[in-house]
Amino acid sequence: MRRFTQSALAGLIISSVATPLLAANTVTFSESEKATITSHGPWPPKMTPDPSNRVSGNKSAIAFGRELFRSRFLSASRRHSCVTCHKPNRAYTDGLARSTGVSMVDRNTISLANLRLNRWYGWDGGSDNLWAQSIRPILDPREMNATPALIAKRLRNDAPFSRGYQAIFKSSPSVDDAGQIIVNLGKALAAYQETIVTPRTAFDEFRDALAKSDEQETSQYPVAARRGLKIFIGKGKCGLCHLGPNFTNGEFDDAGIPYFKASGGIDKGRFGGIQKLKKSPHTLLGRFNDNPRRASGIATRHVTRSHQSWGQFRVPSLRNVINTAPYMHDGSLPTLTDVVRHYSNLNEERLHLDGRGLLRRLDLTDPEIVDLVAFLETL
Amino acid sequence: MQNVVTSFIFGLAVIGYATTSNAADRPLIDAHIHYSHDAWEGLPPAKAVALLRKAGLKRAFVSSSSDKGTQLLYKAAPDLIVPVLRPYRRRGELGSWMHDDSIIKHLETRLSTNKYAGIGEFHAYGNDVNTNVLRRVIALAKQYGIFLHSHSDAAVIDGIFKQNPDARVLWAHSGFTDPAEIRAMLKKYKNLWSDLAFRDEHATDGKVDAAWRKLFQDFPDRFMIGTDTFAPERWFYVVEHANWSRGWLKDLPKSLADNIAWRNAITLADWALKNKTVNN
Repeated sequence: MRRFTQSALAGLIISSVATPLLAANTVTFSESEKATITSHGPWPPKMTPDPSNRVSGNKSAIAFGRELFRSRFLSASRRHSCVTCHKPNRAYTDGLARSTGVSMVDRNTISLANLRLNRWYGWDGGSDNLWAQSIRPILDPREMNATPALIAKRLRNDAPFSRGYQAIFKSSPSVDDAGQIIVNLGKALAAYQETIVTPRTAFDEFRDALAKSDEQETSQYPVAARRGLKIFIGKGKCGLCHLGPNFTNGEFDDAGIPYFKASGGIDKGRFGGIQKLKKSPHTLLGRFNDNPRRASGIATRHVTRSHQSWGQFRVPSLRNVINTAPYMHDGSLPTLTDVVRHYSNLNEERLHLDGRGLLRRLDLTDPEIVDLVAFLETL
Repeated sequence: MQNVVTSFIFGLAVIGYATTSNAADRPLIDAHIHYSHDAWEGLPPAKAVALLRKAGLKRAFVSSSSDKGTQLLYKAAPDLIVPVLRPYRRRGELGSWMHDDSIIKHLETRLSTNKYAGIGEFHAYGNDVNTNVLRRVIALAKQYGIFLHSHSDAAVIDGIFKQNPDARVLWAHSGFTDPAEIRAMLKKYKNLWSDLAFRDEHATDGKVDAAWRKLFQDFPDRFMIGTDTFAPERWFYVVEHANWSRGWLKDLPKSLADNIAWRNAITLADWALKNKTVNN
């Protein structure tokens, strides 16, 4: 966590140095624009415990989850851990286009920050809660390749982990079945991951100052970033999908990135994610949800596949985006500049603009691209 | 080199795509397929035809940018492919073609050379229908006795029928409008058909929405299904789409379901292709 914060600060410093310090402060915002900008905060938002996870927010569970996260205990070969792909010193990503556990997967590693704010998890939203999403890579043959039975057997024979489990879940791994054990371990992992929150940024300082009409403070925000922000909420209409304090609508869209898999076949994206969700025993509608009312499962009950779901992927948060390269679901765009250029030159005929998405080719100038990237670097 | 890589990935995609339709299921005609250069470069005609057959399609209305894709596919499976002439010579002309008079010569040449059931799918809105190019397109469809596949608003549909009251028009995506406006347009023009491509609000979980059901019942001879393979990856959605369509069609009376599944499309195709040879 500490190193994570350091990385973010380093990014901010680089951004500030790169900004022409003597540039005139000529960027102003209308009242309407100010309202839009302030809607991207405050940060951090209040994070409440996950009602579907009875150990969410529990300090012992958080510590236990942290140990599990860093341990190779959860991989069949004992050669991989969550950290293999989610490296704390790389903003909980691995810097690779596509990650490799037991073998290479088809998608880019998503940063684990601010996950408590998600409704869906994974590039395809194949999970509706963090504990289920935490189980998925453990059981994926390409990632950690374990089985519930293997993990249960291993836990029963590991005295320290077994004691930790028993203390938190008030039940012995020798009594719980393998299905319950893997879910409980997922809940401990989730409790830990919920604590990973990106720090306040230069944008947050600017946003709060703007809300207070503190001109002295707002003037500290780099001019290029301000110009980029103006594009973000204006010409770029980026805020239509990247909205709110976490800069995402939490849903899915077709960003015009091809979705053939290098390993063969099609990555169905959200279409496949909903298929997985509907078959999973680990959703908010199932018996492992610790909230007896299961009210948080409403979206899961009603979500359906549509033609649009085919090839849609998560609209990612832009928080800390400078530190999570490469980008897009398949890691095909190495830099933020590449991402902005992609949207600037968007091939609209790859999308279906009638009857669906909000994306339009932006046709940004080179200076506008530089400014938009400068803004993104302050998030 | 890029083409080689694309072909390789596309080939893997074909191998990896496991979903199949049950050939014994209801036959379908897909009225909205594109086979543009980025599709045929990676998915050769034989494999494309195999996918269409895997979906259990009786016929597929195919157009492409450029027309080469349609011709490749038609040559590979003349029993399956209903060729439709797209005005676009390449991707990127979707928003400008109606202002480019060179399109006219392109269409005239292709129509005099090959057999087509229609011109489209083209995109036009509002006053686009009064451009030289659109006027000529409407006249050419009349001259050759073929239909127009129009991705447009109601204003363009009105404009087409104003220029040729006897035109036959397939309204792509049913204009992406609501059942009330579709109803009004179908009532106004007896030669207007409506495809349901890239729309799913008419059915949820295999159940047809009440307003759409009434519309289908009141105009049983006008609707047809379509996938719209606007990006190459969407070729791999054709089978899924066919199965999804079969799901909601089962919720309709058999005769009406068969109309929407294939009979309305084959009626339009047979009218357009009647007495046409490869070289008109």
